[in-house]
Amino acid sequence: MSIGLVLRSPPRDIYRVGAGQAVTSEDLKALMAQVAQARDRAAYGRLFQYFAPRVIGFMVRSGVSATDAEEIAQDTLVTVWRKAELYDPRQAAVSTWIFTIARNLRIDLARRATRQRNGVAALGAPEIGVAESAESATLSDERDAKVREAMTQLSREQATVLRLSFFSEKPHAEIARELGIPLGTVKSRVRLAMAKIRPFLESER
Amino acid sequence: MSLHHPYDDTLARYAAGRLGAGPSLVIATHLAGCAECRARVGLFEAAGGALLEEAPAAAVRPDLFAAALRRIEEIAPPAPPPRHASPLDALALPPWRRIGSGLQWRRLRLDYAPDANVIMLKVAPGGKMPHHTHRGTEYTQILQGAFHDEFGRYVAGDCIEADDEVEHQPLIDSDVDCICLAAFDGRLRLQGFFGRLLQPLLGI
Repeated sequence: MSIGLVLRSPPRDIYRVGAGQAVTSEDLKALMAQVAQARDRAAYGRLFQYFAPRVIGFMVRSGVSATDAEEIAQDTLVTVWRKAELYDPRQAAVSTWIFTIARNLRIDLARRATRQRNGVAALGAPEIGVAESAESATLSDERDAKVREAMTQLSREQATVLRLSFFSEKPHAEIARELGIPLGTVKSRVRLAMAKIRPFLESER
Repeated sequence: MSLHHPYDDTLARYAAGRLGAGPSLVIATHLAGCAECRARVGLFEAAGGALLEEAPAAAVRPDLFAAALRRIEEIAPPAPPPRHASPLDALALPPWRRIGSGLQWRRLRLDYAPDANVIMLKVAPGGKMPHHTHRGTEYTQILQGAFHDEFGRYVAGDCIEADDEVEHQPLIDSDVDCICLAAFDGRLRLQGFFGRLLQPLLGI
């Protein structure tokens, strides 16, 4: 993919250019570098084009409303611009970094809604919990590629468990349904599947 | 160096942002002191990145990009407050309340999750925690001291997940107070004298 493309009239072109082309992890890193170092709007446009539809798709799949999914996607991509220089390509794939941003924004959105329902002023209330984990996690770039590879080799049960852990509000009930196992035994099956997945992901390092 | 860690499926749900607010607080507290589990969360975040790449590309309203371009021209809002060493440092903790000899507790209020059942318990050396069983899972991070129960010994830094069928009464065997942070994602049933005393106070 050519990354030197100049976008003259966003937003329309951006959805046409590059559609259907394979985008590699290295392409995404090069785009991030252009945004971080040169504040390159064309490169930013390519990142937006690649990630905005996926963040929306991911969120809708997670049960988020279409409106909220769009808001999360826009906030995610604005954060990508603002925090571009904090992204370290040696530590994580661009998609992993952007996943953590979108995930944290989804949590923040839900928490803000709860606060508003309960009349709590959001100002000055520090965010805690999962929002802190992304930057502190020890990420390694090579690991991301290997995790991707390993994920293609999971058994059906392992893949289902992993996927529903991300997308389902009630993972255990859905895992039971999808795999046709009694709810009572789901927990131990999930533990077993995860226990198999993790060393598998790690050993691929 | 902790010996007891959260299960992988719990860390995966945490990495996915799918764990409840109470359990998330306990896990985040554990992660603040456990590099090994931070690395495990990192693995599941990488899996999240892969799932994001695979996600069905939804149609995007054409004005979404224009709106983003407008926003990046604006001055960014001030950065969030600096990160704390432990997520607990970010919370205003209510005072301890004594509920018996050698036993104190406080309930943590999370303004973003008022229904979350999160408590801290402080038990004097030689004391016992309230005898209890669970419905759902109990997530406990030991902040200070040590205890043992029928299943093993647990020290500061350890994280314990106790399931539905577990029935235990931890005994404090450190020479300092044992302080624990605990969250429940189901109903907790307390037994014994302190338990009956605690149950209505907790309202859980």
